[in-house]
Amino acid sequence: MTLFAFHVVVIVLGILSMGFQLLASRLLNPHFGSSIIVWAWLISTFLAAFSIGSMVGGWISNLGPVGRRRGQLIGTGTALVTLAITALAAKPLLNLIEEHITDPSWSLFVSCVGIFFLPVTALSTFGPQCVQFLAGRGTPPGKASGVVYGVSTLGNIAGVMLTAFVLIPHLPVSTLLYLWLGVAAVSLAALVVLLRPASAS
Amino acid sequence: MNTFRLLSLLLLPLAVSAAVPAGDFVESHDTTYNSLTVERRGNLVEMRARARGSEALESAIDLNDPLRLVVHYTRSLYGALFIQPQPKRVLMIGLGGAGFHRLFAASYPDSLLHTVELDAKVLELCERRMGFTPTAKTPVTIMDGRMFVKRNKEQWDWLILDAFRGGFVPPHLKTEEFYRECAARLTDRGVFVSNLHATSQLYFSDLKTIRAVFPQVVLFETLGRGNVIAVAVKYKDPIITDPAKWPTAEALTLPIHAGRLDLKEVRNELTLFPSDRMKTARVLTDDFAPVEFLDTLKANNTDAKK
Repeated sequence: MTLFAFHVVVIVLGILSMGFQLLASRLLNPHFGSSIIVWAWLISTFLAAFSIGSMVGGWISNLGPVGRRRGQLIGTGTALVTLAITALAAKPLLNLIEEHITDPSWSLFVSCVGIFFLPVTALSTFGPQCVQFLAGRGTPPGKASGVVYGVSTLGNIAGVMLTAFVLIPHLPVSTLLYLWLGVAAVSLAALVVLLRPASAS
Repeated sequence: MNTFRLLSLLLLPLAVSAAVPAGDFVESHDTTYNSLTVERRGNLVEMRARARGSEALESAIDLNDPLRLVVHYTRSLYGALFIQPQPKRVLMIGLGGAGFHRLFAASYPDSLLHTVELDAKVLELCERRMGFTPTAKTPVTIMDGRMFVKRNKEQWDWLILDAFRGGFVPPHLKTEEFYRECAARLTDRGVFVSNLHATSQLYFSDLKTIRAVFPQVVLFETLGRGNVIAVAVKYKDPIITDPAKWPTAEALTLPIHAGRLDLKEVRNELTLFPSDRMKTARVLTDDFAPVEFLDTLKANNTDAKK
């Protein structure tokens, strides 16, 4: 049961990460258009967040139980606070950036990094910790890594398809951002509970 | 012998191309934003964009008479003359093959027709293959249309939205917020002109969105082509929806229009709003613009002619 819940949470985190990229594009389009330049910055920002999040998550995994617990709570807090800022204030922030930074490339860079980098980085820190969780339960590390990233990538695919074909056609982006915040709160809370035994061991 | 065979194989393509009538060509380009084909057959040069497994005709030019409006909807764009007959300053979003531009520039040589085009390759093909040369009166800026409207604070008598990317319009050019930005760039008596496709459910949302911003809108339907040109203004008075109050086609027709633009015909394209179908349509906003989704749902637009 614990393993089933664990895999569900990993899938949900995958859905949140990549679905968020499509929502981000919808937020950026009115301000910066939908050119390939926008997509280049957006994809690069997300990949940078995946990269740094994974490295930070790997570092957290190697900490002692108290440090790991602290890292999980900071990761959860950062993800939820930054997702809440996106839901509440992304549009005013984008207006502000567009108004004050007239160079299109710079304003796009600041928007991508300022609004989308932190929540995705925070979500990504949990990937290596999930691997650690499985490895701590006796799964060989290589297999644990393959399972977590395989399942997470399935979640990524589901996130893209669900967001593009079901959610964006039927719901406003502002509503979806609150949905993302709510789902992230529930799934991260569940993950923090699931990871607790590993950190206590 | 082997050398002879090799030479024959190498020369074969040259022999085939020599069989094509002189001057004709087909060239395709995968650009940053489009998959474009430019094809010359006789005097006609067509620019097409590949989309959804077929090719959408973006523009066409008759090289023997570049002023001729080959693609029908470009004639309907001149319906704006009935509402604002003095287009001194015109902004056009979307260049295509500049099919509209040449007759406009020849008809109103003192007017400015500034075009914003996203795809630099479109401009290059337009210049190299379709004989269009931007001038001080017909400048072209390579930029996203919405970005241009936001950043450029000039006022326009006509603001024409004719931006398609492979048969569909990017969502951020379809929203209430964008139309408000356009309205803010119009002169007091300026008109907003938009080329709409009346073939999908998107059409009804388009009309509802335009109506949400502009108090008065009239429609010209390019018969049998699926295009409807919306002409909208930001003022309530004087009334533009009564064609009896419009200038006559004769008064607007210039000698250079002879054989190229029949304004009487354009006037007759005036059509009604598909009010029944619009009831359930939703206004498109930056927050909710499922443009691609609506565009895939076919429309039965028969009640437009009620």
